[in-house]
Amino acid sequence: MKSRRVLLIAAVVGGAAVLAVVLILVASSGSSKSPTTSVSTDASASTSPKTLFAGIPQSGDTVGQPSAPATMLVFEDPQCPYCQVWSLNDLPTVVDQFVRTGQLKLTYRGIPIIGPNSVKGLRAVFAAGEQNKLWQFSSALYEMQGAENSGWITDDVILSAARAAGADGPAILAASPTKAVTAQLANAESEAQTYQIRGTPTFVIEKPPALAQQLNVTSLDPGTFASELQAALQ
Amino acid sequence: MTRLRWAILALAIVGTAIAAYLTYVHYADVAPICTTGGCEKVQRSSYAKIAGVPVALLGLFAYTAIAATTLWRGVAAATVGAVLALGGVAFSGYLLWAQLGPIGAICQWCLGNDVVIALVAVLSVVRLATEPD
Repeated sequence: MKSRRVLLIAAVVGGAAVLAVVLILVASSGSSKSPTTSVSTDASASTSPKTLFAGIPQSGDTVGQPSAPATMLVFEDPQCPYCQVWSLNDLPTVVDQFVRTGQLKLTYRGIPIIGPNSVKGLRAVFAAGEQNKLWQFSSALYEMQGAENSGWITDDVILSAARAAGADGPAILAASPTKAVTAQLANAESEAQTYQIRGTPTFVIEKPPALAQQLNVTSLDPGTFASELQAALQ
Repeated sequence: MTRLRWAILALAIVGTAIAAYLTYVHYADVAPICTTGGCEKVQRSSYAKIAGVPVALLGLFAYTAIAATTLWRGVAAATVGAVLALGGVAFSGYLLWAQLGPIGAICQWCLGNDVVIALVAVLSVVRLATEPD
């Protein structure tokens, strides 16, 4: 009788293990939700990186009034063409309508989606954050964007972008390989994993106490983007 | 009802309360009360759902079922309770690994659940071993 009960317990343990394995398999295969970012490709309009952010508080990776009730995390890659479109077309509208008016802060979350050269660019962008010029530098870098994985992000390009951003180029190059910058890269990648970021640009709105929400972008037309952002901030 | 079944029932009610709160937080779309700082990050992660179903809701069903098994005597009820509790422990272990690894954040509610489900599992196995035929 006792041995029958031991067998039953063994069977129960086995059954529970099977149940858990099934749950884990379903859980690990069910996270393939992709973000929705369809875009138009009009990269004509641009504003000087220096003037675009003039007079707006900036600290590290974040630009905007510290009291702004909402934050938009911007997941982007300096090599990504659609990110360039967003930066050149939409960012000026977002800054004027939402950031300058104190409704929104922008936080840069650069992740290497395209290739190894992205990492060099991202390190430079995060390094510019140490001078509180991250957003100017990122915009300037997009203005110089070359073909994906062509190796266009060189020290010379970084120095040129720094000049256009009003930043100290040699200091950016010196800070790029530091542990502090590495930590920022790791943090951005960790958040990208948390928010299931599958492509760039992707935008996440944080407006406590509501849960953070991925912005559903249907177009990179500045008017459409501003309308969708406005709706998300309601 | 034996003291063992009462103990399992009491723990299952605590687990149900935790799971119910996290299910409410999920569907109400609000941030959970959190002292560890990582609850929202965990809740927003891809590990918080299975095939579109919130893990908290699955936990709610599991704890309710475990509580229900304490209302009946016999090996059959003890067996069902033990399978659910041990399965819950194993899956909670997986979620703990996810918090410490890929997510990189800890949720106090999940840790509380881990403790409760571990105790329920131990007591459920003891019950299965000692339950009269």
